[in-house]
Amino acid sequence: MRPLARRERVDPQVPQQDETEERLRPLMIRSLEGDSAAHRQLLGVLGRYLRGYFARRIGSTAAEVEDLVQETLLAVHLKRETYDRSLPFTPWAYALARYKLIDHLRRRKRSIQVPLEDAGALFASDDPEEGALRTDLDRLLQRLPDRQRSLIEDVKLQGLSVEEAAHRRGVTAVSARVMLHRSLKWLSQALRDENE
Amino acid sequence: MRTSDLIELLARDAQAAPPGFVNRRLLAALVAGGLVTFAIVAGGLHCQPLLAAAQQSWFWMKAAYTGLLTVAAAVTVRRLSVPGARTGAAPFAAGVIILAMLVLGTDQVFFAAPAGRLTLWLGHTWKVCSPLIFLLALPIYACLIAAIRALAPTRPPLTGAAAGFLAGTLAATLYGLHCPEQAAAFVATWYTLGIAGATALGAMTGRRLLRW
Repeated sequence: MRPLARRERVDPQVPQQDETEERLRPLMIRSLEGDSAAHRQLLGVLGRYLRGYFARRIGSTAAEVEDLVQETLLAVHLKRETYDRSLPFTPWAYALARYKLIDHLRRRKRSIQVPLEDAGALFASDDPEEGALRTDLDRLLQRLPDRQRSLIEDVKLQGLSVEEAAHRRGVTAVSARVMLHRSLKWLSQALRDENE
Repeated sequence: MRTSDLIELLARDAQAAPPGFVNRRLLAALVAGGLVTFAIVAGGLHCQPLLAAAQQSWFWMKAAYTGLLTVAAAVTVRRLSVPGARTGAAPFAAGVIILAMLVLGTDQVFFAAPAGRLTLWLGHTWKVCSPLIFLLALPIYACLIAAIRALAPTRPPLTGAAAGFLAGTLAATLYGLHCPEQAAAFVATWYTLGIAGATALGAMTGRRLLRW
């Protein structure tokens, strides 16, 4: 066992990334099982890495970076079912982040030079400092139908659970869940189209 | 909205997601599109007498060619539909299958009597074969695109091409139920051209249709 352990230490990059993998993959699997605490934790960690990754590559304002972080987190959330539990998580997250970066640069008509790197590129550095308060999502929220908007505001601003918010607005918990999910899908689409 | 607020909102929306979503989605698209195309083949074009055809090796030659391509194409589309997956050997396998068919067809023409070569190559239906396969691929392509849009392809043009290719190969397989042509040279040319047309359509429309 000893020589094997020594061999694993040869490349300092690899253990670090393995560590990230070992930390994030169980979170992702629990999130897919419906564990919202794990989901929250995962998105929090990913958000910090995404901020670091995007900041180094678009070299633009913190606001633009934060927009892209939010758009990507929405995508991670809405596309999480495309993650195959039997595979490593970090390459999935990296490919998704890289796609969002390329898509962003294309929309801004910038030159697209995003080398295909190892998944470790996404997890090389994290940045916990949120950029400016973003207003894109808030503005888009105003365009949602009243019922959906008030549901989101109850959950977001009042910190109510979906069940509590549903009760307050006089709808069933199931339809509140459907409404919330649809609203998030719509927001993700609108956020992307907006910067077209 | 602060990013932390967004995360809070997303956490409230985290529901259990049963595994197998991607496969179910793609399979449903193939079945739905395949049924539409099959209905057109069976109802509009009419199948050849299948019991008699099933006794013939040429029938199975065609079915094997387009069927194997369909499998290779389906694996490729599956891989390309999600982030971070490698395409693996499936596209390479598809290339080998096409190459083998071209060799088989060329070989057949080469060894045929000179007077019969043109008939062997063109058959009786060469003018309609490729366009029909292309048209029959459209319902399948539409279903596949709708399914893949719910997934997360990170290379849209390539994924579009693969989806077009898959639609073409499945359409060609179903068209084989109707098509009475028997020559390998015919299949190698006109079937492949029809499939290539569907692939080109996918490559051209994938970037636009598969963004998310």
